[in-house]
Amino acid sequence: MRFTLIKDIRKDNSMSSILNALLLFTFIYLISDLFVSSTTIGFSNLEIQTTLYGNEEEFLEPITLSSFLEYIHTKIFFMMMTLLTLSAVYLRLMKATSLAIYMVNIVMLSALVTIITLSIIFFLHYSSLLNLYILFFILWHIFALYMTLHSLWKLNYATSL
Amino acid sequence: MQQAYKYAILYYLVFSLLLLVSSISLFEIKIGFSYSEVLKYYLGNEESFMMAKTAVGLLKIILPHIFGFALFVMVILHFVMFTKTDKRRVMPYLIRASFLSAFIELFSPFFILNGFEFFGYLKLLSFVVFEILLLYLFWILYSSILTK
Repeated sequence: MRFTLIKDIRKDNSMSSILNALLLFTFIYLISDLFVSSTTIGFSNLEIQTTLYGNEEEFLEPITLSSFLEYIHTKIFFMMMTLLTLSAVYLRLMKATSLAIYMVNIVMLSALVTIITLSIIFFLHYSSLLNLYILFFILWHIFALYMTLHSLWKLNYATSL
Repeated sequence: MQQAYKYAILYYLVFSLLLLVSSISLFEIKIGFSYSEVLKYYLGNEESFMMAKTAVGLLKIILPHIFGFALFVMVILHFVMFTKTDKRRVMPYLIRASFLSAFIELFSPFFILNGFEFFGYLKLLSFVVFEILLLYLFWILYSSILTK
């Protein structure tokens, strides 16, 4: 995380290019994650219920325990790596203002809530939490996308860094 | 500025704990925590209709983990470097033990497939040691965030 030590990132061409590329890839990752998640777990209440619990009328089997754990395990890993990197870049570019700290807290907590609620829904069959899961799933993506775009703007167009 | 990064690291620790819990659950469900279950998983079992793993199949499973383990351990250890942990006496051992246990955990199944069944014990031991070491590193980071 050398970029945290550089005084003016925009004057450092190499670091500026690296961060621009990183942020661009993060943006693409977040958008792709929305599409992939909608096809694997589902995006609506009914789709998620069918994936997790199956559907007897349509002869659809529920997701197996090991498949669910593999899904969650992979999700946690990519979430933590993406959000840690994004938060570090965002905090550096925003000079760690209180608004930036709030943003980091919101995005991290929302991501944590999605993991925890999805696990509760699967293991305890607590389907009333489905709307909460969808809400926080969308929320963490929106905030992460905002942080990415705001960082890109700050890196390229802001008058001061 | 420093204070702000602590939030990100603290959340990273919570995610890490969840990752650890999910990995232990996966190990329990897919393999099992006994020597016989480890051998059964890799060498197969006719009674349970379990196929023996192939070297290529094994490599496919561990491939993302080779990079994932390295990245995860590097990030955690890199944060621990900023704590008051003794960098000359403690850190070298922590670094070597973390990467070595991760390496044995990943590659011991290849030895099981090649007839060295006692590597089943090493697989279990390295997994437990790796998880305990990670918990210890989490603890160092957590207590450092709280005290500074």
